Amino acid sequence: MISDKDFGRPPFIATWLVSRFVTGKEAESLVGDLFEEFSSIASTSGIASAQRWYWRQAGKTVAHLAAGTLRSAPFFIAATVIGGLLLNRVVSGLPEPAIFAVLHRYRIFDRHFSAYVFLATDGIAIGHVVASMLVGCVVALAAKGKELVTTTTLSLVLCAMAGAVVFLSSEGQGLFLWMLPWYLADWVAIVVGGAFVHMCRSASRDSRFSRPV
Amino acid sequence: MSNRDYLGEFEHIILLALLRLQDRAYGVNVRQEIESCTHREVSVGAVYATLDRLEKKGYVKSWFGEPTPERGGRSKRFFTVTAKGMTAVNRTQHALQTMTEGLDFIRSSS
Repeated sequence: MISDKDFGRPPFIATWLVSRFVTGKEAESLVGDLFEEFSSIASTSGIASAQRWYWRQAGKTVAHLAAGTLRSAPFFIAATVIGGLLLNRVVSGLPEPAIFAVLHRYRIFDRHFSAYVFLATDGIAIGHVVASMLVGCVVALAAKGKELVTTTTLSLVLCAMAGAVVFLSSEGQGLFLWMLPWYLADWVAIVVGGAFVHMCRSASRDSRFSRPV
Repeated sequence: MSNRDYLGEFEHIILLALLRLQDRAYGVNVRQEIESCTHREVSVGAVYATLDRLEKKGYVKSWFGEPTPERGGRSKRFFTVTAKGMTAVNRTQHALQTMTEGLDFIRSSS
């Protein structure tokens, strides 16, 4: 009898990634197939070779599943992404006034100047990341079963829009590059929000299936 | 008859693999059967994405087996070709045969 202890475990991140693009029993059978072949390759060619094979298969599998999801419901995904863009437009303007309202309300400038500087700079950027994650969660809630594909598409659209703005404008490129890590964090946060909703839904579905009748 | 009644190349190959494997047709076997017969690398994702599409069209049906230890306690998803799928395979096969009839260069290049 072969178990995962005999030939090592497949890469966790690759398995996690594949599981985010399928749901329920389908995820179980697909990951099971990958696991079965991983064990077989590990027993014949070694663990390193099996891990390389696993990563390659996981990458191709994610690409196929994402493309399949996009093809199956292009208008629904487009509508959800447009909704996400509008929501992001509204929500991304909120952290700055909210943080400054708090700073003025509690007179942080007079009492804790260093805290004021932190909140007025990095605090706002962190607020944007949190807001982006909330946008990702809301979009994923709307895109049931297509959470990762929709939030990744939204993220890529925002990335492309930012790139186009920088490319077309002669000024502001330096500022964009300086802020790039925070922009990247915002885009990643949208996908993380989507993954979080997908994980919650999967956990809730699994607990429903495993509940004794 | 619309073009939707014909199978795409990979759909055709997958259905033929299911017919060859009969009651052993699940993801790993289907993938390996296609690789050994066509000598082309196929990903598990491509197989599943196509099988899902074929199931939505009513050409295949699937069911889940029992969880097994060699799969880390996960169950297999078995597939079988439906009567509608068989009709689609026959139609596509017939169309291909008709189209290749009299084309001697195909035989000479193989």
